[in-house]
Amino acid sequence: MNKYDIKLIVIILFVVVFILFLTRKNNNYANVYYNNELVLKIDLNIDKEYSVEGYNGIVKIKVKDNKLKVIEETSKFHICSKMDYTNNGVIVCLPNKITINFSNNELDTIAG
Amino acid sequence: MNKKIAKIAMLLSISVVLALIESFIPLFNMMPGIKLGLANIVIVFVIYDLSFKDAIYISILRVILIGILRTGLFSISFFFSLVGALLSVITMYLVKRYSKLSVVGVSISGAISHSIGQIIVAMLFLSNINIIYYLPILLISSIITGIIVGMVSDRLLNYYKSI
Repeated sequence: MNKYDIKLIVIILFVVVFILFLTRKNNNYANVYYNNELVLKIDLNIDKEYSVEGYNGIVKIKVKDNKLKVIEETSKFHICSKMDYTNNGVIVCLPNKITINFSNNELDTIAG
Repeated sequence: MNKKIAKIAMLLSISVVLALIESFIPLFNMMPGIKLGLANIVIVFVIYDLSFKDAIYISILRVILIGILRTGLFSISFFFSLVGALLSVITMYLVKRYSKLSVVGVSISGAISHSIGQIIVAMLFLSNINIIYYLPILLISSIITGIIVGMVSDRLLNYYKSI
């Protein structure tokens, strides 16, 4: 490995950050899936608490300031309830077979 | 001439076996599109030791053989592999010829162009631009696997020169 290789790696990392920056957007809707089936569509403009049936029991979701967080679920490591409020990317609660993704309009449920 | 044919045949079979071995490592089968690229060690070796033309031959034949053995000829994943393999061979050759990057850099650029090729094919097949969201994670994994493959190839080339 020489210094040109290091430069190449740094350039690629910059590109990655750039793409991540470009693809960031504020979404208006969250789609909650249980076993890959859409069970709940959440409007992020309304602050409210929701609960859905997960594999291990009730999963509680809270919406605040256009962002969403899983506040309560039953699992071993509580990975998805440790995530902070978000309106981007995807939230996965594997033990509960729940996934949440975000979209910008009501019809576009698969996008993102 | 015969010696060269024998060498290419041997390298081809090594690359097929490496690709098969890799598919048995479960860690790299979890995320679609992410793989270690062990077969790339052979391609890097061929680009340095033989020629660009031989590298193209070996990668096309490897994709066809893997297609017959595992994924099925002319399936979607066959085209994914074909585009990725050709793009990475061409990129690695150009990078090796016109830049000052070492074997590791060449291997990283091969891994990256493989990922970009896969993303382009996926976009065309699914006609969905959102797949670009997947590019950052593929690029990061390409850097890591590129470094690993590059270092192995580097050692292999040094060892080969010394015998």
